[in-house]
Amino acid sequence: MHRFTHITMNKLISIGQAAKLLGVSIDTLRRWDLAGRLLSIRSGPRGHRFYNQSDIDQYLKEIEAVALNWAKSINPITLNPDVYCQTRDFFQARLEKLQSELSKITSIETVSLITAVAGEIGNNSFDHNLGNWPDIPGVFFSYSIQNRKVVLADRGQGILTTLKRVRPELINSSEALKTAFSETISGRYPEARGNGLKFVRSIIVEGPFSLFFQTGDSQLYLKKDDVELNIKQTTTIIKGCFAVINFEELL
Amino acid sequence: MKIEIKKFGTTLVSRPAGKEAWLAFQPVLKEMPSGEKIIVDFAEVVVLTPSWADEFLTPLKNKFKDKVELINTNNPSIQATLSILVE
Repeated sequence: MHRFTHITMNKLISIGQAAKLLGVSIDTLRRWDLAGRLLSIRSGPRGHRFYNQSDIDQYLKEIEAVALNWAKSINPITLNPDVYCQTRDFFQARLEKLQSELSKITSIETVSLITAVAGEIGNNSFDHNLGNWPDIPGVFFSYSIQNRKVVLADRGQGILTTLKRVRPELINSSEALKTAFSETISGRYPEARGNGLKFVRSIIVEGPFSLFFQTGDSQLYLKKDDVELNIKQTTTIIKGCFAVINFEELL
Repeated sequence: MKIEIKKFGTTLVSRPAGKEAWLAFQPVLKEMPSGEKIIVDFAEVVVLTPSWADEFLTPLKNKFKDKVELINTNNPSIQATLSILVE
């Protein structure tokens, strides 16, 4: 999907420049274009993709992009206090706010599950990084009820570093991600339990939800009825974790 | 004895909160006559995760074993948590 136009008041930038600004690969931008998520403008004799600078600016303001940029930047922007939870107390308060917002649009059963997934992912960040935050403590936590999504991110150590303490044989983020989502394992030895992400998986595959989860150079996309874990390598690296919970199918 | 979980909150998601609940409840458990059944009532709890439950239900179950009975567990996050803990 794209817009054929040569007339625009906006400054046009190349796909390469847009990719750089957004911190994603050119292939990702092509996919987003096809999916209608971020539309390009076809221009020139060969129909190359260009982007309106204003579309890129707008996109960068969306919660997902803000979170991703914050999670991956070497020198991240200072987050708006509305989306930043430095401690668990702030996170808990905002989680309860999410719960109350959700209860205006859906059943208590669904509210319960979405809040539980967001709560588990957010608390995981605190559990695994307490006293060990590489630079900025806490989590990014925001949601858009209108767009049916919850976004969480941290600048923590990431799943590989945490799990390597109990599983030294883990060599990359893909393996660590797979382990975290399929086994009962805790990076907090000698604590016995660690099944938070396995719990998250059990809910996502049962309900009308999907989850995008990235740590290091690996990302997982999980949706209803998935049996296998669909894990891919990414070009951009996030040291901590970045998660998007979608509940588009509700309403 | 009956433990009304809602008295610890209705959005029970974090490990520290679960641990705190467990510690806070120790004096009551110590005064309980031995052999008495413990009914854990989840009525009105909206959200439960394995993190919280691991810190409260797991030690409770380890200590009192089959004296522990869970009721009003229909809420889906409670169901999902209990099935993960059982594994």
